[in-house]
Amino acid sequence: MSDLDKAIAQLRACRPIPENQVRELCYKARELLIEEGNVVSVDAPVTICGDIHGQFHDLMELFRVGGDVPDTNYLFMGDFVDRGFYSLESFLLLLCLKVRYPDRITLIRGNHESRQITTVYGFYDECLRKYGSANVWRYCCEVFDYLALGALVMGAATDLQPTDATFQDPNSQATALSEPDEIEIEILNSAGQIINRFPRNNYIGSQDLSQISNTPSSPSQSLEQTPSRNGAPGTGASSASRGSSNNTGSAVLCVHGGLSPLIDSIDKIRLLDRKQEVPHEGAMCDLLWSDPDEIDGWGLSPRGAGFLFGADIVKCFNHKNDLSLICRAHQLVMEGFKEMFDNSIVTVWSAPNYCYRCGNVAAILELGEDGSGAGYAPRTNGDVGRSQGGPLAERIEQRQGPGRRYRVFEAAPQDSRGMPAKKPVAEYFL
Amino acid sequence: MASNGSDSGAGTKSYTTQNGTWRITTRKLPILKATPIDQLSNDLGIPIPEMIFGDNLVSIIHLPTAWTLSFNARDALDRVSKTEEGMLQVAVAEEWKKDRKEAMVKDEVKSVVKPFDWSYSTDYRGSTDVGGNPILFFETVDLYEDELADNGIALLSIKIRVMPERLLLLSRFFLRLDGVVVRIRDTRVYIEHGSEKVIRQYTAKEESYAVLQEKLKGMRENAPEAFRDANVLAPLLRTEVDEVEVFEVG
Repeated sequence: MSDLDKAIAQLRACRPIPENQVRELCYKARELLIEEGNVVSVDAPVTICGDIHGQFHDLMELFRVGGDVPDTNYLFMGDFVDRGFYSLESFLLLLCLKVRYPDRITLIRGNHESRQITTVYGFYDECLRKYGSANVWRYCCEVFDYLALGALVMGAATDLQPTDATFQDPNSQATALSEPDEIEIEILNSAGQIINRFPRNNYIGSQDLSQISNTPSSPSQSLEQTPSRNGAPGTGASSASRGSSNNTGSAVLCVHGGLSPLIDSIDKIRLLDRKQEVPHEGAMCDLLWSDPDEIDGWGLSPRGAGFLFGADIVKCFNHKNDLSLICRAHQLVMEGFKEMFDNSIVTVWSAPNYCYRCGNVAAILELGEDGSGAGYAPRTNGDVGRSQGGPLAERIEQRQGPGRRYRVFEAAPQDSRGMPAKKPVAEYFL
Repeated sequence: MASNGSDSGAGTKSYTTQNGTWRITTRKLPILKATPIDQLSNDLGIPIPEMIFGDNLVSIIHLPTAWTLSFNARDALDRVSKTEEGMLQVAVAEEWKKDRKEAMVKDEVKSVVKPFDWSYSTDYRGSTDVGGNPILFFETVDLYEDELADNGIALLSIKIRVMPERLLLLSRFFLRLDGVVVRIRDTRVYIEHGSEKVIRQYTAKEESYAVLQEKLKGMRENAPEAFRDANVLAPLLRTEVDEVEVFEVG
C-alpha cells in the first residue's frame, strides 16, 4: 500500500494525517492543479456535487449513494470547508483522491476556499485546534489559489440510461412503465429507488410539486402546494422542447456561484489570472459569489456587493456559449436541488441537514455518457411549449438539456458520526 | 395529554406549570421547503432568510384567560424594514462598487433590485392576542438565520426555561455584520406563576465593529471567537432602547 493509499484510508476513517504529510500532499496537488485551465474539461459520465462544508460523514454518505472513487467520476463545485466539524478531513480526503485519481475527480473553487472567509467561518480555527498551529491551514489555502474556477462537461447524453431501479411507491410503477417518452429527469432516493420521473417534452406548465418532495420528515409537505412561476422546487421537468434544429453536442457549465456581467463567454473565464486569493470584486469574485434571481437582467444585491442575474441573462449566455445547462451550488435548497429559468440553470446542494440543524436533504446530479453519439439529434416534436416562454425565450432557441438523474440523500445516521460530544446548550441564560 | 415536558409529536413539546396556570409550548421542525418559502416571500414582500424555521414556535398561554404570548418567524420577519431607509452595506461594498462603474455605465446593471433590510434586523417582541431553581423545562428554538452571504450572521433565536415558581424567556436577535456593526435586540419575558402578571423587557443594543475590536483587544479576548458569541459581546454594546411593559392577565 502506497503512502497515499494509507493516507486515504486514514482520512476515510476521519482521522487527520500528520502535518508533514499534509505539506507533501498540498505540494503534489498544486503541481497537478497548476496544469489545469481555469475551466476544466470533463467528459460525461460524471456526478456533480454542491457544497460539502466540512460535513465529513455526509460526504461518506454521498459516496455511498453515488458510488465510490474511482468507480464514479466526480465533480465537486466548491465549498468543501467551513461550518461543519470536519472541514480538514473532508478537504484532505478530496485532495488525496484528486492526487491519486486525477482523471476521476475534479475540484473547483467555492467562495469558502479563501483565506479571509475560512478565518471567520471555522476552517482556520479547526486547523489550529487539530494541529496546534496554522501551518496546515496555510498549506490548504495555497492549494485553494490553484483550484479551477469552473468546469465544462462534454458529451452528456440527452436521454437517461435505463436502470433497474424500482419505484419507491409501487403504485406509480404501472403508469411510469407505460410511458413511451424519453426520460429527461429522474429523481432517486438514497436507497436507489425512483421517487419521480419526468419525460421530455411533457412539460405543460407547473407540475404537481408534491410528488417531487421526498422528505417525509418535512412539515411543509402537507401545506398546500401552489404552482410557482419557475416550476421549482427541484424541477418542473423540461421546457427544453423548443425544437433546436442543430443539436450538436452542447455542454454543461459548472461554477460555484454563477455568472458575471464582465463575462459573456467561457473564453473570458479562461483568460483570468486565478492564482490568487478570491478578490472582493471583479469577474473571479462574481463567478464564486453571484446568485440567480427572479429579475430581469442584472441586479445588485441589497447588501451592497454581489450580483443577481435573471432568466434572460442565463438564456443568452447559454445560447451564445452553446450550453444546454448551467450547474451551480452556493445556495441552500431544502430539496437538495432546484432548477430555474425553464431548466436552464440548476442549484445543487450536497450538505444534508446543513449545520446539523436545518433538516434539509442533499442531492447529487448524474449526467450520463452519450455513447451513441446521437444524443443531440434534432427532434420534430419540439414545437410544444414554444409559445409559453415569453418573448426572449421565443427568440432564443434553447438547447435540449442533458438527461438528469438526481440522487437525493439525507444526513448520515447520527450514530455513525462519532461526532465529538456537542457542547450542551446552556440551560441558564440571563 | 402528554406528560409534562415530554414530546407530543411533530417536534412539539409542552409544559404546564404545577399550579395549572401557564402552559409553555415549543415546536422545532426543519427549515421550510421551496413552495412555502415562495408563499411567505410573496406575503411579506421581502426575500426570506436562507435558514427559515417557519414552522417553529414558542408560546406562553395563561390557561384561565387564554392570554397568549407567542413567537414565530413570520411575525418577526414582518417587522423587518421593507425600504432602503437605514439599510446597511457590507464592509467591502465601497471597494466593490468602484470597480463596477464600467458595467453600471453600460446600463446593464440596475441599482438595487428589491431594497429591504437584508440584515433581517427585527424589533420583534412576540405576538400577543391581547434563580437557584431547578429547571423543569428548557428549550431553545431558532426562528430564522441568515449568513448574509458570508458577511456575518443574522439569527433570531428563543430560549425558554421554566422553574417551579417562575419562567423566563429570552428572544434574541443577533446581527454581526463583519467589519461594520454588531446588534443585539433582546426581549425578555418574566412570569411569576402565582402573580398573573407578565413582565416584558425589550433591550436594543448596538456598537460598531471597530469599537468592539478595540474593546476586545483591551480585554485580551480571542477576538474571532468573541465575535461569534453574543453573550461575550452583549455587555460591550451601547444600549439604545430599554423598555419594560407589564401585562396584567388576571
